[in-house]
Amino acid sequence: MALIDLNSIYKIYNVGGEEVRALDGVDLIINDNEYLAIMGPSGSGKSTMMNMIGCLDTPTSGVYEFEGEKVHIMDDGQLASIRNRKIGFVFQTFNLLPKATALHNVEIPLVYANIRKEKRIKMASGALKNVGLGDRMHHKPNELSGGQRQRVAIARALVNNPSIILADEPTGNLDSKSGHEILAIFDDLHAQGNTIILVTHEDTIAKHAKRTIRLFDGKITEDIKDK
Amino acid sequence: MFSLFFENLKISLSAVFANKMRSILTALGIVIGVLSVTLMGTLISGLDRSFENSMSWLGKDILYISRYEWFSDMEWWEIKNRPRMRTEYVDKIRQRSKYALAVSPVMQRGASLSYKDKETRTEIFGTNEEYMETISTDIQQGRFFTTSEDKSGARVTIIGHGIKEVFFGKENPIGKYIKIDNLKFRVIGVLEKQGKFLGLFSVDKQAILPSGAYKRIFSKRGWMRLSVKVPEDKINEGIDEISGVMRQIRGLRPSDKNNFAINQTKAFEAQYNTLKVAIGGTGIFITLLSLIVGGIGIMNIMFVSVKERTREIGVRKAIGATRGMILSQFLMEAVTICLIAGLVGLLIAYVSSIFINKIFPSTLPLGLSISAIVMSMVVGVLSGFIPAYQASKLDPIDSLRYE
Repeated sequence: MALIDLNSIYKIYNVGGEEVRALDGVDLIINDNEYLAIMGPSGSGKSTMMNMIGCLDTPTSGVYEFEGEKVHIMDDGQLASIRNRKIGFVFQTFNLLPKATALHNVEIPLVYANIRKEKRIKMASGALKNVGLGDRMHHKPNELSGGQRQRVAIARALVNNPSIILADEPTGNLDSKSGHEILAIFDDLHAQGNTIILVTHEDTIAKHAKRTIRLFDGKITEDIKDK
Repeated sequence: MFSLFFENLKISLSAVFANKMRSILTALGIVIGVLSVTLMGTLISGLDRSFENSMSWLGKDILYISRYEWFSDMEWWEIKNRPRMRTEYVDKIRQRSKYALAVSPVMQRGASLSYKDKETRTEIFGTNEEYMETISTDIQQGRFFTTSEDKSGARVTIIGHGIKEVFFGKENPIGKYIKIDNLKFRVIGVLEKQGKFLGLFSVDKQAILPSGAYKRIFSKRGWMRLSVKVPEDKINEGIDEISGVMRQIRGLRPSDKNNFAINQTKAFEAQYNTLKVAIGGTGIFITLLSLIVGGIGIMNIMFVSVKERTREIGVRKAIGATRGMILSQFLMEAVTICLIAGLVGLLIAYVSSIFINKIFPSTLPLGLSISAIVMSMVVGVLSGFIPAYQASKLDPIDSLRYE
């Protein structure tokens, strides 16, 4: 069974009386342990695609199944639950909570999963150690470098053992050295059996992925596997 | 759900303390609201206590017959035109009334008291041997005067506790002679200590004289009333009967109005209740007003907080917070501000009540304190709900993009 199955997905917005087809009949199957890059110029539907896969948005029409669960008919609470259990987000701007320590930031998804405090701390500190931040757990985001912040974000994405990691331009706000470190972590995670979906507009970054799809005007124009 | 509760509590506290000045200003209305309601309660409890204490001296079963009605708005000349009370009425009431258990005249005027080189000015009372039955104070030392002492005009006196302290200190006053307006009187008794009536004036500085001696020496000035004790369960019948007796004594025709008044402690109670309602009403008005203003302030600041943290809300939703979780987070924040404000208000009220207690005995009522805290939490829920609901409805994608 496919991990993700998008079947003729349409996302149509109405902007000032004009119909905008952000996704215009997308079919896509993503299997377990794939490393996929989604590329395309701005306005191509790249972001909408990411939001759709990440269960932040539902399609205007079409069928979306995530590990057999029908996402396209889910309500708000069910979407929140599937995001919590199955998806780990990594954002371009890290999106950590500034007042919370690294450890607490990583704990938050577990709070929403209603996991007890002791277990939460164990899991969160484990996730931070995995990204090499075992000695930075009690630092706040403003006491960490950009690369370290993004690693905290990755730990937060991983802590719930998600089915996919969804990274939106994860190196966009980093210098090239930190960017390489982050991509090395993704490579590792993929090698460990995780499924990674990377949204980017840079070819050099997309090269890390094993499969690349290109979007243009809401349609998949290219799907290259096993480079 | 405990994890979420503590997480929310943590977020709330950090939000409150991160913006200290803002939180203080926002919470001020709630602080004032809680403060005003609890202080009002303290004040009323103190008044209640002092009132009940004072009323117990008067006695519910005592009727006070005099020329004027207590707390009435009669003109002074109208009162002045009424005939005076006379000591002869005492025997007439005794003969004609079956409800009167004790009848005593009470004549009162100011006088100068002295003992050796000490001198003080105070009120003196002229009365008969039944007087002790019409007051709740007891003789602490010595005895009251007898009927024969009264009839013979013996110059004896019972002094208040305050006079004893001023003149004699620890010395035994019984048998000593004091001067009342330069005439010698022998002290035969001392009244027990009473304190202040309604917290206003001391009644311990007084001297009681037999009416015989009083009339002969002092009756040219001052005023007079009659105290009549009636059975506690027959007060209204007593009033009706004695009113009839008085009309008879005064020779009033059926068409004439009463030219005397029968007062009882109920008049004080009615007056007091009016005062209590006024204090309570003012307190509740101030409280409601400040809670409403405070609630609007909280609502306003919560809208700001939601706006400021739009991105945070987006992140939280992306990593799995449901609408309910976001709603509870912001609701909790509003309630936390209000709860802290309420506790601060209560603390200030408590400290104030200690000082108030030094001026007149009162306590901060526990029930009211609890209700005040509950009330401030309700304000938190009411004023936090709309902003929290707005936060919960935010679209995660838009919120994540919000700058």
